[in-house]
Amino acid sequence: MKLVFFNDFKLGVLKDDRVVDLTNVVQHINQPTPQDLLNGVISEFRTRYRNQFLEAAEKGQGVPLSQVKLQSPLPRPGKIVAMAANYLENGALKEARPINAFLKSPETILATGGTVVLPPDQANVFHHEAELGIVIGKEGAYVGQSEAYNYIFGYVNFIDVSARGLGGSSFFWGKSWDTFGPCGPYLVTADEIADPQNVPIQLWVNGDLRQNYNTNDMGHSIRRTIEWITSVTTLEPGDLIACGTNHQGLGAIQNGDQIEMEIPGLGRLKVQVKDDLKREWPRGIDHVIGDRVAGRA
Amino acid sequence: MKLVHFNNYRLGVLKGDRVVDVTSVVQDIPHVGPHDRMSRLIERFDQYRGKLEQAAQSGQGIPMEQVRFRAPVPKPGKIVAMAGNYLENGTLKEARPINAFLKSPNAVIGDGDTVVLPPEPVTIFHHEAEVGMVVAKKASRVNAADAKSYIFGWMNFIDVSARGLGPQGMDTFFQGKSWHSFAPCGPYLVTADEVPDPQNMPIKLWVNGDLRQDYNTNDMGHKIPDTIAWASSIVTLNPGDVIAFGTNHQGLGALQDGDKVEIEIPGFGRLHVSVTDNMKRSWPRGVDHAMADRVAGRA
Repeated sequence: MKLVFFNDFKLGVLKDDRVVDLTNVVQHINQPTPQDLLNGVISEFRTRYRNQFLEAAEKGQGVPLSQVKLQSPLPRPGKIVAMAANYLENGALKEARPINAFLKSPETILATGGTVVLPPDQANVFHHEAELGIVIGKEGAYVGQSEAYNYIFGYVNFIDVSARGLGGSSFFWGKSWDTFGPCGPYLVTADEIADPQNVPIQLWVNGDLRQNYNTNDMGHSIRRTIEWITSVTTLEPGDLIACGTNHQGLGAIQNGDQIEMEIPGLGRLKVQVKDDLKREWPRGIDHVIGDRVAGRA
Repeated sequence: MKLVHFNNYRLGVLKGDRVVDVTSVVQDIPHVGPHDRMSRLIERFDQYRGKLEQAAQSGQGIPMEQVRFRAPVPKPGKIVAMAGNYLENGTLKEARPINAFLKSPNAVIGDGDTVVLPPEPVTIFHHEAEVGMVVAKKASRVNAADAKSYIFGWMNFIDVSARGLGPQGMDTFFQGKSWHSFAPCGPYLVTADEVPDPQNMPIKLWVNGDLRQDYNTNDMGHKIPDTIAWASSIVTLNPGDVIAFGTNHQGLGALQDGDKVEIEIPGFGRLHVSVTDNMKRSWPRGVDHAMADRVAGRA
């Protein structure tokens, strides 16, 4: 099932290239905010909403996707836990780097069609980082690897936009700017991705293919990642795990760029970039960072 | 006004040494649980302040000793925690480059709760007594001159820290700071009008009755208005978000199994938490001078 938020944050389900409005099905859920609505759906999805949504999708006519404005399918996750340096860089690294993560501000979330706004701060460069996003389905602390997949509700495309060279190695300063978390367009339930450890991820800038990698290159597996994160802190329904990126294919983003990202089955995420300072960087792949992360520099 | 959560996350207002239950006053605010009830109350505080004051005035209240305080902000939308933000009793000539990290909202615990030390290969665990600020309204790119109007209130805060984990040379704040139970706060959330000079407050922390940290917020590197301005230039702050202003490292010490930790900023109540460690590791008791010297640039 592919869930979306559209227009003024109505919840909908995709039926081919049409959106069926689910508002009536979920109106009794306690929903001070759209994220609260989503968390309520996620919490009782298997026991209650899945069948109701399937029925609504079957019966409903829906409206063409092209006629609605899509919002982020994850309006404001309670937490975004983002893995750092979590790929083997197309096998260049012999083993995974020591496991590490950071919290990315939930206020970074940006819907497809939105604009990444580069701050005026003197970053060395701004990079895209295309990632697999995992949306959590139930509360978990101290989760073991064997049960880890039971905690996954679904998946989203996610871009961990990054500012380099601000505040030293500070992740807060590098990663948490408003609009630095494009997400979506669909929240796809876990059953539609047979093996999340083997999905291709592609990102284009102005039509040029930049990142082109597979999650089978991941350093710490999804199971290990969920196990480790939940040993540190509790994950809750609606939380987002960004699995990290393969840095081969990373490049600068700058004013006017059109970025697109796609994982098959998750739709295509499209955002543009705005920089009031109109700074310029070399176009194409940034091999310097690619080499450094792969240990070739 | 001093707001508290008590017992089963009832909302209370302090009246002298008594707690008046004002939960019914806020029940009509749309919310999912106590955590967002607090932030949504803060968002509309102007509308509710009068009713809360009235309820506090007319209510009998229960003696404080008879209630169990809970965290006043059980799960804030964000905790922005400042790093290296003190002049270390003036030993540093100038503030260190401004920096912060996000601490997991799920780390919050309250008065009487337990800090659980994880079985990780740390070099040591430290307490970090801090002043915590709660955001009043949406703040994005605010000017330092306007910062005051974005402050809802204040509370005691401990930024419990695990040292020595994670890869060298990388930001490892997630595995240093975000462990379950690593964010004790409260017991009171004191509204800003009762804290006229937050830049001049003594903070004290004791372990097992011994005074460890004993410093004043006037030693802060990046002052409160500048910090709010800087943080809000990067992330939009929302009502109920927390900013922890960092700690003065002179007086930091180890936390270990069996410790009883207390922190008090005058007027904020005293926050008590205990510490457990299944591995029963032990570290030297008292102040960790090695750490203090390093941060003050004496090592």
